[in-house]
Amino acid sequence: MLGCTSMRRSRALAFAIAAAFWVALPFGVAAQSLQERLQLCGTCHGEKGNSSMEKTPSLAGQPELFLTNQLILLRDRIRLSEVMAPFAKGLTDAQIVELAAHYAKLPPEKSPEPIDQALVPRGEALAKALRCGSCHQADYAGGEQIPRLAQQRIDYVIDSLIAYRDGRRYGIDTSMNGVMVGVSDPDIRALAHYLATIP
Amino acid sequence: MRSLRVVAAKVAAGIGLAVLLAASPAFMADAQQQKAPRPTSGPDANPLDTSNELLSKTKQDKGLKPHPSPLTVTPVEKITVDKLKVPAGFKVEIWAHGMPGARMMTRGDKGTIFIGTRVHGKVYAVTDKDGKRTHKVVAEGLKQPNGLAFKNGTLYVITIDQSLKFDGIEDNLDSPKMTDVSEQFAMPASVHHNWKFSAVGPDNKLYTAIGSPCNVCEINTGMHGLIRRQNLDGSKVEVVARGVRNSVGFDWHPQTKELWFTDNGPDWISNDGPEEELNRVAKGNEGAHFGFPYCHANGVPDPSVKRPNPCAGVTLPAATLGPHAGALGMRFYTGNMFPAAYKNTAFIARRGSWNREQKFGYDVVQAKINDGKATITPFMTGFLDQKANTFWGRPVDVLVQPDGSLLVSDDTNGAVYRVTHGSGKTTAK
Repeated sequence: MLGCTSMRRSRALAFAIAAAFWVALPFGVAAQSLQERLQLCGTCHGEKGNSSMEKTPSLAGQPELFLTNQLILLRDRIRLSEVMAPFAKGLTDAQIVELAAHYAKLPPEKSPEPIDQALVPRGEALAKALRCGSCHQADYAGGEQIPRLAQQRIDYVIDSLIAYRDGRRYGIDTSMNGVMVGVSDPDIRALAHYLATIP
Repeated sequence: MRSLRVVAAKVAAGIGLAVLLAASPAFMADAQQQKAPRPTSGPDANPLDTSNELLSKTKQDKGLKPHPSPLTVTPVEKITVDKLKVPAGFKVEIWAHGMPGARMMTRGDKGTIFIGTRVHGKVYAVTDKDGKRTHKVVAEGLKQPNGLAFKNGTLYVITIDQSLKFDGIEDNLDSPKMTDVSEQFAMPASVHHNWKFSAVGPDNKLYTAIGSPCNVCEINTGMHGLIRRQNLDGSKVEVVARGVRNSVGFDWHPQTKELWFTDNGPDWISNDGPEEELNRVAKGNEGAHFGFPYCHANGVPDPSVKRPNPCAGVTLPAATLGPHAGALGMRFYTGNMFPAAYKNTAFIARRGSWNREQKFGYDVVQAKINDGKATITPFMTGFLDQKANTFWGRPVDVLVQPDGSLLVSDDTNGAVYRVTHGSGKTTAK
């Protein structure tokens, strides 16, 4: 919406823009129309839900239930994110489902981040050993409450996996925390770079 | 700043930007207590062993994943209670609904039923007033408040990272007073399998099950994979059972006063097992080892975490409860409404499998106890359509009411069912 094509726009700057947008609205996000809300989401997550902003997830093609759950957890402050909290605040379940349905239908695109090919074989072996493809599906498109990993940003996957391992985040259950017990930072980087190769 | 909020203290606005993604101090303490932690960052970071042949041999992982529990309210007309089947003479009705994620139940002295949740972060209170049943949220924003216990007017809520007390809560359901006793109770705060189960025993101590932080791995046996007890002020922690993978339900036999508990089995070994367990802590056997991670079910060695003589010194189960069944809440029947044959038998909620191609469980079974062993028979079925391999509800906990009826919670539909027998009235003893 801002016509900005820079791949590595500062996350802080974009957040400031979005926050200003939000503050300027008299009744907050919950009182906006779907179109206004989508414009706001697009500031960071990409106009079509494919993020070119560092450490900010792509939403395009994520399962609808996954997006619904995450927005409810962010609204109810079970999942803590200083960035997302003001945007999720006050949304009704119906508004959340509407947003989730919108992003679930958008086609996911590959992240612009460079892949370190040297890490890929190690990442592939780890993904097999940790059975990532059982819950996230063989094509890593996810399903129901399980997120899509294919086409997700590398830096966001790394951050998320570290947060699961360190107990700073959990999903709808704690399966990811159990899976990530003892997985090292270098192994997490390898996993993320391997996942980025999934078409 | 913590995420916790009590409804009564709900602050309208302004806290949005203040909550940071900080690791909980309790978690950090937990991590420090672990012996020789495996370095996960820096140059000495230990790579995961991917050579385990078991992982490549098993053919089980064809898109198996945990089932989602909705975060949104299930409309009562969508709860197909008429599909539930119980033995002749019994009846099932919806007793309460509209409580997403409703799981473990405990009863207050004045009749309030308190219900915990996991990811939903809420504690509900169900009350009957002037012939009308209502529920309210008495705490929210908690980290998986699954462990609830009640004693002498006080509700204890044990979450993943906090121990909380609500004194005199039944007189104050609209603005309950919360005391954080995490420091006194000193529970570990790791996340996985750490949505605790709690209850107060006949010895007036708080018993809490603390699961293993993984599927199968070596654990710190003084911290994880155990059931422990402590005084109600938090003092004098003792381990009652060790080698327990993840127990989410226990009760004391009404006559022997021995502790019986369910234990969930490991994932990914095979579709057919190892089976889950119903265990007994026999008198004089407190602190016994129940096998995890080396020895599962009726003496099945773990194929990946090995030790010589894996089942030596292990107390084997009183009964096995089926593969991947998700055996959770259990209570002995002490009421006078059901036929005499039910007295002092246990009801066990099997929430149902996820790590199995053909779904299993999704029912409430009865465990008949004889000489320290148990036999298992179905009691409440109909949540699972075996032919279609689909389910519409998942029983999590059972609770015997003073009138002898049995409550069954279902976290998929956010509902509680009530099972009665005959006229639904208590018979004379």
